[in-house]
Amino acid sequence: MAKLLFEWDYSSYPGAKTYPHLFKPIQLGQLTIPNRIKYAATEDNLNDHNGFVTDADVAYLRERAKGVVGGICTMQGVYMDEKRMGQGYVGQAAAWDDKYIPGLKRLADAIHEERAVAGCQLMHCGRVGAVEVEHCQGPSSVPQRLRIFRPVLEMSKADIKQCIKEHIEASERLLKAGFDVLEISGIVGYLLSNFVSSYTNRRTDEYGGDIRGRMRFVVELIQEVKKTCGDVPVGIRLCAEELLDDVKGNTHEESMITYEMAEEAGIDFMSVTAGWQESIVPVISRDVPMGSWIHLAKRAKEHIKIPVQMAYRLFTPDIPNKAIGDGELDFWEMCRPMIADPLMPKKVLEGREEDIRHCVACNVCLARLFRDAPMTCYINPVCAHESDPTFANPEKTQDQKIIMIIGGGPAGLECAYNAARRGHEVHVYEKGKELGGTILEASKAPYGDEELMTTINYQKAQCEKAGVVFHMETEVTEELIQDELPDSVILANGPVYSKGNGTGFDRDNVINVLDVLSGKAELGDKVVVWGNRKPGIGVALYLAKKGKKVTIVGKDKSAGFDVNPSFKWRYMIYLRQNGIMAYNDCDIESIEDNSVMVKTYDGYHFPVECDNVVVTEREANTNLKEIVQREGIELFVIGDALVPRNLSSAVHDGYRIGIRI
Amino acid sequence: MSFSAEKEITKLWKNLHAAQDEIGKTYYRWREAALQLAGSDVKPLDVSLKTAEIMGMEIGKSLLPRLNWLKGEEVWLMNLAKNIAGNWINHGAIVDVENGENPFEVLIKWKRCPWPTFAKEYGVDMEEDVLCCDRILQTILKDVNEFFNTDYTIETLKAIPRGEGECLRRLSKNNK
Repeated sequence: MAKLLFEWDYSSYPGAKTYPHLFKPIQLGQLTIPNRIKYAATEDNLNDHNGFVTDADVAYLRERAKGVVGGICTMQGVYMDEKRMGQGYVGQAAAWDDKYIPGLKRLADAIHEERAVAGCQLMHCGRVGAVEVEHCQGPSSVPQRLRIFRPVLEMSKADIKQCIKEHIEASERLLKAGFDVLEISGIVGYLLSNFVSSYTNRRTDEYGGDIRGRMRFVVELIQEVKKTCGDVPVGIRLCAEELLDDVKGNTHEESMITYEMAEEAGIDFMSVTAGWQESIVPVISRDVPMGSWIHLAKRAKEHIKIPVQMAYRLFTPDIPNKAIGDGELDFWEMCRPMIADPLMPKKVLEGREEDIRHCVACNVCLARLFRDAPMTCYINPVCAHESDPTFANPEKTQDQKIIMIIGGGPAGLECAYNAARRGHEVHVYEKGKELGGTILEASKAPYGDEELMTTINYQKAQCEKAGVVFHMETEVTEELIQDELPDSVILANGPVYSKGNGTGFDRDNVINVLDVLSGKAELGDKVVVWGNRKPGIGVALYLAKKGKKVTIVGKDKSAGFDVNPSFKWRYMIYLRQNGIMAYNDCDIESIEDNSVMVKTYDGYHFPVECDNVVVTEREANTNLKEIVQREGIELFVIGDALVPRNLSSAVHDGYRIGIRI
Repeated sequence: MSFSAEKEITKLWKNLHAAQDEIGKTYYRWREAALQLAGSDVKPLDVSLKTAEIMGMEIGKSLLPRLNWLKGEEVWLMNLAKNIAGNWINHGAIVDVENGENPFEVLIKWKRCPWPTFAKEYGVDMEEDVLCCDRILQTILKDVNEFFNTDYTIETLKAIPRGEGECLRRLSKNNK
């Protein structure tokens, strides 16, 4: 008889009718899960650097536990060795000693208090581990492709036995802490995946050789952990596609053999993944269309009978709902969608999809983790601040103000609904016909940028619910400010575009980026884009897709300075693929009818033929600032109007002022 | 046959940068080799300072035929400063030279310099980079002073590796 931890009845919720397959129970081993939703294990770097669980991590996970509405909430993978070779993240929780049990128990208890199933992952980071020590471990000492990782020491057979022992002992501790489901991590470059892959396992003993030999360690480990866990379900995450063909990684046929062997070894469920950190193929960034990897889950289900789970760009409920209904998937896993909005599945259930703050798949969360920084989210300012009530749940204001927000872009909108929720009377003045600021144009760029509009749509819905008053097609003037005399003015009116220090910037062939992306401007065949940050890259790719020959000239030392490294490498590839030359550390000295003269930082000059120059260089917007100050009105400047940056900075600026004003 | 100034110039420019990059890396590879062969008893800074001295002597000697006292001491001093700057510019630095507030005083400003970046890349202490530049400059001046029978000194007022935004050095006549 399968065990059910918490009773959930979804029948009265609209989401259960719209997405019936997501809210059906399923059995994992001897445990019944009320729905098909799982917050997948995600490192957050929120724990202390000795592996002890912190208040911040408990609060972070509790919020996600609320979100899964009875499903599985998995805490991050724990490292299990005292030598810390398995530790891949500075803030990773540990389970190599009983002293960690009380902290782990706090996490399990927090999940249970939200009536969710508590999952925990066992994660030895293998060749991407040893973040605090000099060498990491692997089956063979194959050098690293990425420089941020440590040199690899080949594991002896004694090391392998010790590693299995550590997994068993850690499992015992996790069970004592109260976890209901365990999961073994064998993906993206972590230890188990290193053993499985022909890229990193060059051993000639019984733990190497063909795929069956390379799986031996994993099979032994599963069998031992299963023995320890008894009725508690144990799952595993394994790659269905390593995407390492360029370094002689596994074929997908070999990957399916690993799935079959894991099932034979007794595993209770399979979490399907794709790619390694060392893969050169994009897997989860915005340029990969949603649902692109469902075929891997389908393939897995053709090879194994145990429940199949998967995350990987399943950002909207319709995709997993259909896949589950079609028998291609059993469980909807999420990491980033629930980093961006911890209550995402709860909102789906309650029929409040307009309230979901959708992840824009920028991967800044990963970029931060790899650089030893605490988790953060591009578009969710509260992420990793859940333990700070003054920041996460600010109180109503005692001093109600009339607030004039100038600009209906992401900074202004974020500020508007947060201030309105706290009791202020908020008026947003937008000179255009639509809300969204420069995101309206930025979202026209290729490779998934249309997803940026999800942030604006969310903000609009929140503003409407919070009672924000919109004044559309209204340009704010000195007279308007004097007439309205608000208590506070928030300048969120975006950047101004640079006029250039060289000659010819006033010519007719010089066009603003917004006019290009909105389709207002007609351009010749050869275009120079001035500015090598994200707006420059976006418009360059947009124009290249229209068949233009595009050259970028920008002042930053490298293109995409404002794009996080976990996404930037994609843009560099796309620039090359589209034949776009980027001259970085350069400026335009003069513009003629059919060419520009480029000046390099070190004083050299060369001409570039072009019909048009597209201006993307931006500066802070000081319009109206003096007028507001002269009137003695409280003033805040946010978003690109303060310093031109990106969508994330606009949202975070807006939030911080919205909760404090 | 068509000629593209853009292609020709940018190809040369990129080759120049690649060569400059190789200069920095080669220096630190040799530093590492020297340290490994010298053994653990030797202090890395001592090895680097010795190298700086050798570099300074070579540069100093190369300057002697290029400096002409007949053009007057102020022109001579400005030429000395520009020649010093030129060595770093060849490596990829952006260096300006300007007259100081006092007679026979010149300020040399390194607005950008690749050497601290190389030091960081090879895990070398930032202060070592400052001290090595100082040693190169002092050694250059030693030869120049002896040859021209002058008494000029150079002092470091700011340094990029110390997080001060630029390297600023004052080259001036010793009035003591």
